[in-house]
Amino acid sequence: MSAADAGGALRVAAGRVRTWSGRPPARALAFLAGMLPVAVAAVFVGLPILLSALYTLGDTGGPNATVAEVAQHQVVAAAGLTLTGYQRLFATPGFGHDLWVTAWITVLSTVILLALAWVLSLYLRFSRGRVRAVVSTLYTVPMFVPVVIASYALVSFWETNGKLAALLHAIGIGDAWLPGFTSGGVVLGLVWTNLPFAVIMIGSGLQAVPDALIEAARDVGARPWRVLLSVLVPLNRLPSIIVLTFTATGSLGSYTVPYLMGPNAPQMLGVAMTSAFQDYQEPQQAESMAMLVFLAAAGLSFLYVRANRRELRRMAGKR
Amino acid sequence: MSSLGARPALTRLPARAGGAVLIALLGAFILGPLLTLVLWAFTQEWFYPSLLPQSLTLDWWPRVLQGTELGSAVGWSFVFAPTVTLVSAAVCLPAAYAYARFEFPGKRWMMMGLFATNAFPKMGVYIAMAGIMYALHLMGTFAGVVVVQLLNTLVVMTWIPAAAFASVPPSLEEAARDAGAGPIRTFLRITLPLASPGILVALILSFLASLDEAQGTLIVGLPRYVTMPVEMYTLVSNYPGPATAVFAILLTIPSLVLLALVRRHVFSSTLAQGYRLR
Repeated sequence: MSAADAGGALRVAAGRVRTWSGRPPARALAFLAGMLPVAVAAVFVGLPILLSALYTLGDTGGPNATVAEVAQHQVVAAAGLTLTGYQRLFATPGFGHDLWVTAWITVLSTVILLALAWVLSLYLRFSRGRVRAVVSTLYTVPMFVPVVIASYALVSFWETNGKLAALLHAIGIGDAWLPGFTSGGVVLGLVWTNLPFAVIMIGSGLQAVPDALIEAARDVGARPWRVLLSVLVPLNRLPSIIVLTFTATGSLGSYTVPYLMGPNAPQMLGVAMTSAFQDYQEPQQAESMAMLVFLAAAGLSFLYVRANRRELRRMAGKR
Repeated sequence: MSSLGARPALTRLPARAGGAVLIALLGAFILGPLLTLVLWAFTQEWFYPSLLPQSLTLDWWPRVLQGTELGSAVGWSFVFAPTVTLVSAAVCLPAAYAYARFEFPGKRWMMMGLFATNAFPKMGVYIAMAGIMYALHLMGTFAGVVVVQLLNTLVVMTWIPAAAFASVPPSLEEAARDAGAGPIRTFLRITLPLASPGILVALILSFLASLDEAQGTLIVGLPRYVTMPVEMYTLVSNYPGPATAVFAILLTIPSLVLLALVRRHVFSSTLAQGYRLR
């Protein structure tokens, strides 16, 4: 991809091009077309989330009656809504650990992923030759493997008595820490599965920075670190924030990776909510956990929207 | 291409060696588990701490292929994935074009609304959705599974094609219109071909999202509609390692083939542009 392509696409987007959008019938048609996927999402995602938000606050009437009928240990509000369900959830033994482990796994995996993606993207941007070709194929590999398979392959590779242990044994390292069925392993699993997306985002952002800009910075005496911090990082704020938001929100609610790769306790909330629903018949507790994850994800999404706004304003200012 | 820093050749040697070690580690991290999985699929006996299997066999392959539940799981996966992709295209592509080319009230809110569906933990959505699915008699039905898998494709199928449509220069469309082409002809001959890489990427990613979806299908589809990844969850806990490895490899083949087809577009700006909001 050339820098001109990316810049062009963004400028087109920022410039709000109209072709025949002026005609009212066309605009009404466009509105309807635009509403279609939103309507599907509203009926099957938005509405259920609203209803279940009410359910977690103790409302068991209307459509929530079906779920509430078989639910164990639920809080029913005598009148109006109540936060008792959440209070009890926080008082549940072990829940604090689940919450804490969800938070640090998300933060740690996102930080490691961002760092690794930046290093790889810089390498891909500034090097040439055969090794570069190998690396540019290597980072894409996890995208080709379904997450269920990847989790299974990773955890059986590095469990106790797994092949990593055999490998370390062969080179004389007897009892090293192994990530099999630990929260640390979940962090590595999330990094593994999200790596291609992160490098695609940050890498294509870096490729779009013109050579001329970097050379200009160097001509006025900027050292490599200075070029990185003053030119490349600011220009790649948006891709970095996209990676941050999408992987952090994905990790917060992730299920497959922690379920197959993590310990039995503490569990990430995605796993905890599933077992609350399937094993303990506690849909209210499950939904309350989902609401907590959603609130955190909504906060992260705000970052993403703000970063996009800034970028549009920057592009618009340039024209 | 320029290099980031023009350092003297001598000081770069240790840096190079360090880089080689890092790349080797990355290679081991990414490929190690997968290579082990492939070896497992041909293994008869493999005990710790041996680095290679003690004895190899091909027996697991026919056993897995002839297992009837596995065959039907593969079948259902390949019925659902194309169906979901087509429904998703019908629902989302017109919207993508509308987002790219028109201004109408609430446009930004619509795109954000779609994004919000991604931010809510999926398991939470599926649990919450159960009530609606029961009310609409979709629980345990074909249509119910299509709906639950469709939800995972909405963002990809809207955002990436929207970016692709937006990057088609309007001047080209105007030129075609000036030359006397009608709006439909202009769209079919100019806009659609130029936006096709983005649309193709979205189609394939949707297909794969449907093929890999397990949680929602598990809740809505049971007992009748068991797809490959759903079966995989059962296999992991109930079958011997080599059988699971064989099934895992079989399950990876479609993703491998399809992604290889669009590799050039996925790993370029086409995908990246889709995640920038307009």
